[in-house]
Amino acid sequence: MTLYLLRRLFLLAFVLLALSLLAFSLAYMFPGDMLQNLTGLRYIAPEQVAVLTAEYRLDQGYLAQYIAYLQRILSGNWGLSFASQQPLLQEIGLLLPATLELAAYALLISFFAGIPLGIIAAVKPEGVISKGISALAITGYSMPVFWWALLLIMLFSLGLGWLPTAGRIGVLYEVKHVTGFMLMDILLSDSAHRNDALLNALRHMLLPTLVLATYPTTVMIRFTKDSMLEVWEQSYIKTARAKGLNRLQVLYRHGLRNALLPVIRQIGLQFSTLITLAMITEVIFSWPGIGRWLIDSIYQRNYPAIQAGLLVISTLVISVNMLTEILHTLFNPLARKR
Amino acid sequence: MARFRLLADEHQARSPLRQLWREFARQHSAVAGLALFSAFFVLAIIAPLLTPHAPYLQNDNLLLLPPSWSELGLVQYPFGTDDLGRDMFSRFLVGTRYTFGIAVITVLGALIAGLLLGTLAGMSRGVKSSVFNHILDLALTIPSLLLAIIIVAILGPGLLNTIWAIMLALLPQFVHGVRNAIAEQLNQDYVIAYRLDGANNLQVFRRIILPNIWERLTVTATMALSTAILDIAALGFLGLGAQAPTAEWGAIIADSLDLIYVAPIGVALPGLLIFLAVLSVNLVGDGLRTAVKKRREN
Repeated sequence: MTLYLLRRLFLLAFVLLALSLLAFSLAYMFPGDMLQNLTGLRYIAPEQVAVLTAEYRLDQGYLAQYIAYLQRILSGNWGLSFASQQPLLQEIGLLLPATLELAAYALLISFFAGIPLGIIAAVKPEGVISKGISALAITGYSMPVFWWALLLIMLFSLGLGWLPTAGRIGVLYEVKHVTGFMLMDILLSDSAHRNDALLNALRHMLLPTLVLATYPTTVMIRFTKDSMLEVWEQSYIKTARAKGLNRLQVLYRHGLRNALLPVIRQIGLQFSTLITLAMITEVIFSWPGIGRWLIDSIYQRNYPAIQAGLLVISTLVISVNMLTEILHTLFNPLARKR
Repeated sequence: MARFRLLADEHQARSPLRQLWREFARQHSAVAGLALFSAFFVLAIIAPLLTPHAPYLQNDNLLLLPPSWSELGLVQYPFGTDDLGRDMFSRFLVGTRYTFGIAVITVLGALIAGLLLGTLAGMSRGVKSSVFNHILDLALTIPSLLLAIIIVAILGPGLLNTIWAIMLALLPQFVHGVRNAIAEQLNQDYVIAYRLDGANNLQVFRRIILPNIWERLTVTATMALSTAILDIAALGFLGLGAQAPTAEWGAIIADSLDLIYVAPIGVALPGLLIFLAVLSVNLVGDGLRTAVKKRREN
């Protein structure tokens, strides 16, 4: 296991290195002045150019520039955003939790709705309930996320007026940024209107989370069902039944434990799709997360922001991938041998 | 089930393709999906011949005409016109070419490139294949929208540029699939037997590997197609893909969004078309997957 972990860590380091190379080379490929792209300064005075060139080691070879870039990234000096002229790292620090919050709740919903539904669908694969769940799953799986979001806004926000259309919380409430997770920040604050604020934030959160949860939930249903059906055919299930365990005991002790293994793996594989969908959802619901920020950056030709966004989002996806893979190995002794 | 049979029965005597079709045709939803898919496919090819009006022709006298079932509508314009007086129905028809047709081309491109690279990776061993794999893993982790954003930042927005992004995002799954399938095939006894007969790499690939992996490739391709349609539409909607006058379904939705109260059909129908296109692809893909599994079990 230690060897396995070491190998994984080595792989992680390699992939991150390749990623940093990619991000580094982007500064040369983006249009515009390279020095501006690297520093994020929109206007550079002529006397500043020489100083900055020396600081960024642009007068030296590519290797020296790359090393300088790595040093800057590690020391937290990520340059400025073209749009706001604020340090990028600080801006991302404010935005990333919002995206993580949205994605985390969507994933949670997909666990608690998708896995039970998948199991129910696998109990009688030819039954009406199972067919209904499968039909629902394939419908959700085929739904274009931006259209689905628009439909829900039309119905619940504009038609019925039950839920707000955009933002994370009403403008009346002022919540101090502590963790960046809205619900946690509200609970940590000691304002008199804490409960109202919490309710308001939940109402804002409901639609985007539902929209984002649609895809992972349907993936979860499909995978749980398929993997459950496969496990149910195995001989150890027959043995367990022959021993005299009832259906529920077999399901819990032998079925679920084996069937959920590939599902864990699937979370890692689907995470990058989830982030793509989160970016689109954020745009539609004006959710102040990193996805909307990145898409705004492309409209504003904000190249330093795109470069930083690539670095942060890819690192996030890679880490989640790696984590689920390690978890999968931890739970599955068979995979450890390889 | 007996492992060996002396006499092949009628069902097993059929060719693999016919067995596959038999299993596929048993699933009603898959056949319905195939019918819908074929309809979209035919539409994508002959759409320009069917349009009653030119999709980009602006008619100043007929701005924002309601659909023909409302009292103010005209029967010549079944779904009315948009704010520039362009016929909606013609635009939807031509949109099939962009959203659906281009998705098919993108997937074909990714499939061919993936087959080439996957074969190279599967047939080679050692450091070369290991480094290659890790680079692929990296590509797999970059979300497709982020990849599109980067390519758009370098090359500028446009349908063609986003196609490269989508192709690049789809590529790793093909390469991985082909590589794993080839690695699995190369371990089979019949490959060794064929090699002992003096077959070279190319012959092994053409006569043994390709016939054995095309089923799995088709299933991967249908899955990729549904992703490609959704991505093209989403990028068009965000304004990064197909640009304003182009009648791409996602771009039409973005165009009609500010008129959603006046002409909701401009948002509702293209979305429904995207949904139906993806649904048909998914139904066919699911049906194929089940059929392949059942055929192998028999």
